[in-house]
Amino acid sequence: MIVVEHVTKEFEKNINKREKVKFFADQDISFSASDGEIIGILGPNGAGKTTLLRMLAGILEPTEGVITFDHLNYQENEIEIKQQIAYLSGNTKIYDTLTTYELLKMCCDLYDVPKEKQENRIKEITDILKMTPFLYNKIANLSTGQTQKVNLARCLVHDPKYYILDEATTGLDIIASQIILDFIKKEKKRGKTILYSTHYMEEAENICDRVIMINKGKIIKEGIPDGIKKETKTTNLRDAFFSLLGGHNHEE
Amino acid sequence: MKSKIFVILKKEMRELFRDKKSLAMMLIIPFLIPVLVLGMSALFEFQMKEDEENKQLYFAYELTEMEKEIAEALELKVIIQSEEELTENLKQEKIDFYIGKDKNKNPNSFVINKGDITTNTALATLFIEHYKQQLQSNYLIENNLNPNLVLNMVTVEENVVDEKATEENYFANYIKNYAFLFIMMAIVVSATYPATDTTAGERERGTLETLLTFPVKSRDIIIGKYLSITLSSIITGIISLLLATVSLGISQQLFSLYKGLHMIYSMESIFYGIVVIIVYSFFISGLCIAIASKSKTFKEAQSALTPLNFISFFPGMIAFMIGTKSSLLLSCVPFLNFTMLFTDITNGTIHFGNILVMILSSVFYISLVLVFIIKQYKSERVLFVK
Repeated sequence: MIVVEHVTKEFEKNINKREKVKFFADQDISFSASDGEIIGILGPNGAGKTTLLRMLAGILEPTEGVITFDHLNYQENEIEIKQQIAYLSGNTKIYDTLTTYELLKMCCDLYDVPKEKQENRIKEITDILKMTPFLYNKIANLSTGQTQKVNLARCLVHDPKYYILDEATTGLDIIASQIILDFIKKEKKRGKTILYSTHYMEEAENICDRVIMINKGKIIKEGIPDGIKKETKTTNLRDAFFSLLGGHNHEE
Repeated sequence: MKSKIFVILKKEMRELFRDKKSLAMMLIIPFLIPVLVLGMSALFEFQMKEDEENKQLYFAYELTEMEKEIAEALELKVIIQSEEELTENLKQEKIDFYIGKDKNKNPNSFVINKGDITTNTALATLFIEHYKQQLQSNYLIENNLNPNLVLNMVTVEENVVDEKATEENYFANYIKNYAFLFIMMAIVVSATYPATDTTAGERERGTLETLLTFPVKSRDIIIGKYLSITLSSIITGIISLLLATVSLGISQQLFSLYKGLHMIYSMESIFYGIVVIIVYSFFISGLCIAIASKSKTFKEAQSALTPLNFISFFPGMIAFMIGTKSSLLLSCVPFLNFTMLFTDITNGTIHFGNILVMILSSVFYISLVLVFIIKQYKSERVLFVK
């Protein structure tokens, strides 16, 4: 179970060469995610989704608040938590001088997959994602769809308990996006917890058990998609989001 | 923990050896060393032979019998031309100087006409000096005086203690020391590119974020990276040492200017040479990675590291030029200590105490740098350098 309690992230940015201003990317964010749940993190660009997910993935440290995974926190159990996490974002880049096999082997080593199980695990994932034809090709020579498959494969080698997916389908074609969405559904059935951020509201509506709507770093609504639609008297999450913003049909 | 450092190291080495630019940076300077050694040796030898062969003097008047005898005794080739002709040749830089006589003064008033103020006219002075001595001797003999007693009342002799120290060896030493100074430069160049690529470059490419999501301590990530840079520098250093030794060996066979010069051929010299290369690689790699990791972009890191190439080269070069000798105190001075100890090793004067002090002081500097880099990588600032 993931528990996020009163998490705030403050950044500094330069307004000119001498002056800096502080701003909150996320402010007082609290929610929890149970095992086998898909939580959608929704919001426009700049809402604070990526910062929140980076904090959940242990890349950034919250300025305030606590994040726990099965009662373990990053301050004391960074490695144990990261062993259980897979983080994939639309911007995730991988080492393109390596071959797919070399990358997966490296991931197995870094996630402490036992040596004797590594070959089987790589073969299993390669078969599932149909990557055999380009297993020994350099990643630099792969197509966008193939690269995203490799990216997904790297998240699977250690069979993680938690998936943190940040705009994972952004920029992908319909086939590559479907691979990711099918994968999410399969992993949910296996009892995995998935935090899924997107600004495609329809996509979230289809796969998420619960959604958390964020705007300007604050949670503006949390609940099941049908509940939110009912409450806002709308027919889809997009309209519900704008309704919650006070009827302003624009992103800031 | 150790195995994860090794995984990062393996990854970095794979990337390094598959990147043409990194490979070029690793090998470009080492392969310039033989060119430098053989080229400079050939140039100096040619110059010396040319100087030897070109012992000729130009005169603007007919020489007396005595002058002819002196020129013959000094093995000088005498060329006599008209004043106008010689002046024209001087203007056109065909000759450096010529000897004339001031007709308004006495018959022994010589004038050395030269192209510019810096022209070396030692040969003309030597000729005139001999001529003067001969005239003085003749005069003294005519007056029943012993020229040896009068002219040699005061004698000066230069005693060179080192039997091997000839002019030729000065040039050979010059080439040898520069060859080994180039090894230091090769190590810096070899460390610079991977340090930039593995820190600022990785951040710019976006793979650093991916790397930070793995269950690896930031300390292990940076140590893995640091070791890969060090390893590439050591490889460059050893290739450079090998090429420098081989090319000096070939030069010694081909060129006479290396006669009697000590070369780095003994096992002991090579062993200590490798020790200096290893310590220097650890030191310079730490410094490169510390500077590069503070830069926002690859380009910025490259600009920030450029002065390091000069800083690493100049102290050694200046010490070599002014003839500074190594000491325990100087063995603590970064950059200078490596070059000076390397010079000692190549000259066959190995001081174990100095090497030990260099190692200990370097371990101290490396530790400081590592603490700084680990701190830098522990913080999220490594992703968003300001």
